[in-house]
Amino acid sequence: MAMTDTRPESGTGDATAADTGVAHTVNLLGTGDHKALGITWIVFSLVFGVAGWIVTAIWSANGVGDGDLVSADAARTLFTGGHLGLVLLVIIPLFLGLATYVVPLQVGANTVAFPRAAAAALWAWVLSAGVFIVANAIDGGIGGGREKAVSIGLLAIIGLAFALMLATVCAVTTAIALRTPGLSLDRAPFFSWATIVGGAIWMLTLPVLVANVLLIYVDHRYGRPSDYGVPAAQWQQLSWVVGQPQVYAFAVPGLGIISDIVATLAGVRQRNRGLVYVGIGGFAILSVGAWAQPYFYDKVEDEAVYAGMAFLIVLPVLLLLAAWGTTLRAGKLSAKSPLGLSLISGLLLLLAVVAGALYVITPLELRETDVYGAGQFALVLGAALAAASAGVMYWAPKMTGREAADGLGKLNVLVLLGGGALAGLPLVVLGFATKFDGLEDAADALWVLSAVGAALLALGALLTLLALVSTGRGASVEADPWGTGQTLEWACPSPPPAGNFGELAVVRSPEPLLDAADPAEEA
Amino acid sequence: MAATHALPPAPPLQRPRVLVVGSAFASAAAVMIFVGLIGIYLAERANAIAAGEKWLPSEISIPLQQPNTILFTLLMSVVTMAWAVQAVANNDKVNSYLALGVTAVFGFSTIVMTTYLWSLMGADVAANTQSVLLYTITGAHMVMTILAIIFVGLMAFRALAGGFSARQHDGITAAALFWYAMVAVYALIWITIYVTK
Repeated sequence: MAMTDTRPESGTGDATAADTGVAHTVNLLGTGDHKALGITWIVFSLVFGVAGWIVTAIWSANGVGDGDLVSADAARTLFTGGHLGLVLLVIIPLFLGLATYVVPLQVGANTVAFPRAAAAALWAWVLSAGVFIVANAIDGGIGGGREKAVSIGLLAIIGLAFALMLATVCAVTTAIALRTPGLSLDRAPFFSWATIVGGAIWMLTLPVLVANVLLIYVDHRYGRPSDYGVPAAQWQQLSWVVGQPQVYAFAVPGLGIISDIVATLAGVRQRNRGLVYVGIGGFAILSVGAWAQPYFYDKVEDEAVYAGMAFLIVLPVLLLLAAWGTTLRAGKLSAKSPLGLSLISGLLLLLAVVAGALYVITPLELRETDVYGAGQFALVLGAALAAASAGVMYWAPKMTGREAADGLGKLNVLVLLGGGALAGLPLVVLGFATKFDGLEDAADALWVLSAVGAALLALGALLTLLALVSTGRGASVEADPWGTGQTLEWACPSPPPAGNFGELAVVRSPEPLLDAADPAEEA
Repeated sequence: MAATHALPPAPPLQRPRVLVVGSAFASAAAVMIFVGLIGIYLAERANAIAAGEKWLPSEISIPLQQPNTILFTLLMSVVTMAWAVQAVANNDKVNSYLALGVTAVFGFSTIVMTTYLWSLMGADVAANTQSVLLYTITGAHMVMTILAIIFVGLMAFRALAGGFSARQHDGITAAALFWYAMVAVYALIWITIYVTK
């Protein structure tokens, strides 16, 4: 056997181990099984997602009237901790959980690359998340007042970033290096492709976040000889992470999920696959935002490159929407919740990039306040949450071997559509208040709508979690519960056994299962 | 009359080496940390000079001997690291251990020289922005150097245990990749901080 660092799945046990809670927990803590790790990522992320959107709802509600629902310090913590938390504790880990579970199956691998590193990444993330939450709770968030708590909070952010980068390395390496023979990159499933490009962008930009936080920490720790560690300046140095173009980077894997779902549920091969790859890749490249740090260059938003990227990123979204529309037209429209969630994700993302394009139009004066940016952030993350929920609903039968409650998924379509639109659009509208005076009078109503939207997004995260849990009572499913599976993950039993696959035939097209079903149709 | 040709079967698909791919991504991420830090350093320096101020305060004095020594030591370590990879590829165990050992010694001497340089610079981390930046960047590079030494050490132990061969030496290649990234980062620090000042 060749010596590599990716051995067959390691773990202290499998499904036949003693079914006591303690034994199961010990098994989970020691496992390198990508399936267990992936589900753990997803469950934790959704739990944090419920909390994160509730925090955002409280922050929005505080905008009503004089803003005295909570104290100024608490409002600052709700905003900074809520925004960073939604990125580092919810969206990125949710996509990583799906990638850890699904990508090895999609590429025909028997495990994720570096299983022990993947396990270490998960538990380091859980630990760092706990520290981050506690630090924020005791006024140790970004710009907080308790010095030691702030130090711990900053270290927690560094820990979160490293853990997420490690997990990203595992997922991306799996997609690049463990593909089964015949599965070249131009035949890779869309989610695997999106994991590669999205993961690459995260690996280029999250380290810059680490650099910022490290500088803040050193300055804060040694008595603030410069401005970096000054409480009022801390968030200004990190705000680029939740602003455009960087915020789009967190939605990249969602584009792959939607592409896979549309093709499979439409029951046809995706036409013009190259355009979909280009669209996802172009979107990812245009989402690199580590260079656009207003704190260090306050005129960056006036730069032609910044404006150009804001306009250009609309094109890949339109391209992808056209490709998905073409596929749906060629196939059949299925009333399944993953498709509904995918479509609303695309819609919310389109709204977000259009909002982003408007942002750079100087005469509109949208950069005078932070409200517009907060609205755009909510739209992007609402889109990402919808795409991730679509992925959970789509792959839940594969993960558990049982049907998920599609009714919950369909309800979630309405909840996430309403939540994403209400959380983001009112704040986007309020951003025009500096230009159009009359809007100030409607500010309270708009803040209330935004709070309702954020609460709906919290409900959406909860519904996704419940749908996953509901598979415990669903009917057993076959390897391909949709009946129209195209990619390799639908070739193994549900749930996949240890090692995932037996012997795989050489892949000869992007849709190997369709080739096996009808060799005459093979591309 | 048309002729048909019996072509030989296609060779099996070559899969990229797992550890090398992972190490490449990890190295890229590490480099990006320093791109961010040095970018901030250069931006602050440019702002200070544009405002008509002197960038480095008078109490900070960065000699060139020590940074140059570190640079040349690391450049030599690039050679020894390449020597290690080549030796493993040739199944030459003695040269492998020698090269890996010398590389680690070069790395260790870099750490020693960096701490000596800190004592000579006269910079107090609690005094000004410039010191904060200097210590953050050079300190982070020292951490990267330590990690690179640990990586090389681990791969040396695996080589000792017979884990590598001429056909399969991904571990040494991965360690070399990270080492080269560490040296490249130092070259960037050398030119932007120690030389440009």
